[in-house]
Amino acid sequence: MICKQAQEDLVGCWGCADELSSEILSHLEECEQCRHEALLLRETQVMLHSLPVERAPEGLTAQIMDRLPHEGQQAGWGERIARWLVPERRMQWGRAAALGAALAIAIAGGVYWYGQEQQTPLQEQVVATTPASETGGDERLAITDAELDELILKHQMLEMSQPLADDVGVGLVVYTSR
Amino acid sequence: MAKGTELSQSEIEAIVERAKKGDREAFGVLVDQYKDKIYNYVSRMLSDPYEAEDVTQEAFLRAYRSLPRFRGASSFHTWLYRIASNLAIDVVRKRKRSEPTFSIDEPLESEEGEYERELPSEDGGPEQRATTRETRLAVRRAIMDLPEKLRDVMILYELQGETYEDIAEILDVPLGTVKSRLFNARNRLKENLRSLVEAGEIEVGQ
Repeated sequence: MICKQAQEDLVGCWGCADELSSEILSHLEECEQCRHEALLLRETQVMLHSLPVERAPEGLTAQIMDRLPHEGQQAGWGERIARWLVPERRMQWGRAAALGAALAIAIAGGVYWYGQEQQTPLQEQVVATTPASETGGDERLAITDAELDELILKHQMLEMSQPLADDVGVGLVVYTSR
Repeated sequence: MAKGTELSQSEIEAIVERAKKGDREAFGVLVDQYKDKIYNYVSRMLSDPYEAEDVTQEAFLRAYRSLPRFRGASSFHTWLYRIASNLAIDVVRKRKRSEPTFSIDEPLESEEGEYERELPSEDGGPEQRATTRETRLAVRRAIMDLPEKLRDVMILYELQGETYEDIAEILDVPLGTVKSRLFNARNRLKENLRSLVEAGEIEVGQ
C-alpha cells in the first residue's frame, strides 16, 4: 500500500525528494523498488527536458505575412459559409444547434404547406358528387338518401384519411339536405 | 519594435488591438513574438518539420482571420495555442486514418543517398544536460508513443512551460483533467523509456 502511495507521489514530483512527506521518505530508505522508480522518474525528467527547442524555419514570418488577406479583400461566400460551418472546436455545438433548428423549422413549414395543398382537390371531389346541372342550380335540395349515405361515407373516409382537412363544404351539404 | 524582444502583457494587448483593426504590421509583430513557441509545440506534437511548418502558418492565418472576433476573454497566447492545438490534433487524427508519414527520427533521402536530419540545437544552460543524439531520438519516440491527449498536456506543461490554468483554457478541459492527464503522461513516458534506461542503452547525462 505504501509502495503504491510512494510511487504516485514520486510521479507528482518527478521523483524529487523535496516535496515528499517524511513517511514516504522513510519508506524510500527501506524499499529498493521505490528507490529505483524514483531514479527512473528523475532520469525520464532529465531526458525530457534535455530536448532542444526547435525554432521556426527562417523566413516563416515573411511567408505568413505574404499569405494574409489584403486590406479590403473580402472572403468569397463559399469560404465564409465553409468557415461558419467549420468553426473552432468550442463553437461547433452552438452553431450546429442553430443550423438544426433552422432546418427543423424549414421542414415543418414545408410539411404544413404540402398538407394545405393536398386538401383542396379532396374537398372539391366530394362537393362535385352533386352537380348543379341536375338540381337546377341548387345542389342543397336535390340530394337523395343514397347520395346522402355516399356523402356521409366519403366524409367519414375523408376525416379518417385527412384529420386536418377543411371539410366545412361537405358538412354544409349534409345538414341542409335534411 | 526590435525583433526577438520579449514583450510585456500590456504591450501584447495593445498590439493585438491594433491588429484587430487590420494593422498588418502589428500582426507581424505578433507572428515574430510567437512563431517559435507555436512551431516548437506543433513540431513536438507531430514530429514532422514540414507538417509543423504548415500547421504553424495555418494557425497564424486563422488567428488573423478570427482576430475581429477575439474578445480578449483569454490571453492572446492561449487563444493562439488553442488554434494550433486544434489544427495539430486534426493532423494527428488524419494520420491515424491513413499511412504514417515520415518521422523526424528517420533519415532524409537524397540523390546522394540517405542522411540524418539535422535538427537545430540550443546551447545548453547550466541546468540543461548534454545528451547524445540517440537519447534525444528515444525521448522523441517515447513522446510520440503517448496518446495525443496525454502528449498535448505533457508538451504544453513540460516543454512549453504553460501553467495548469492556461492548459485548461487552451484545451478547453477542467483543471483536474489537466492534472490527471499530466500524471498519466509522466507515468506512460517513464514506462516507454524504462527498458532503454534499465538496459543502459541511453545516456542520461548525469
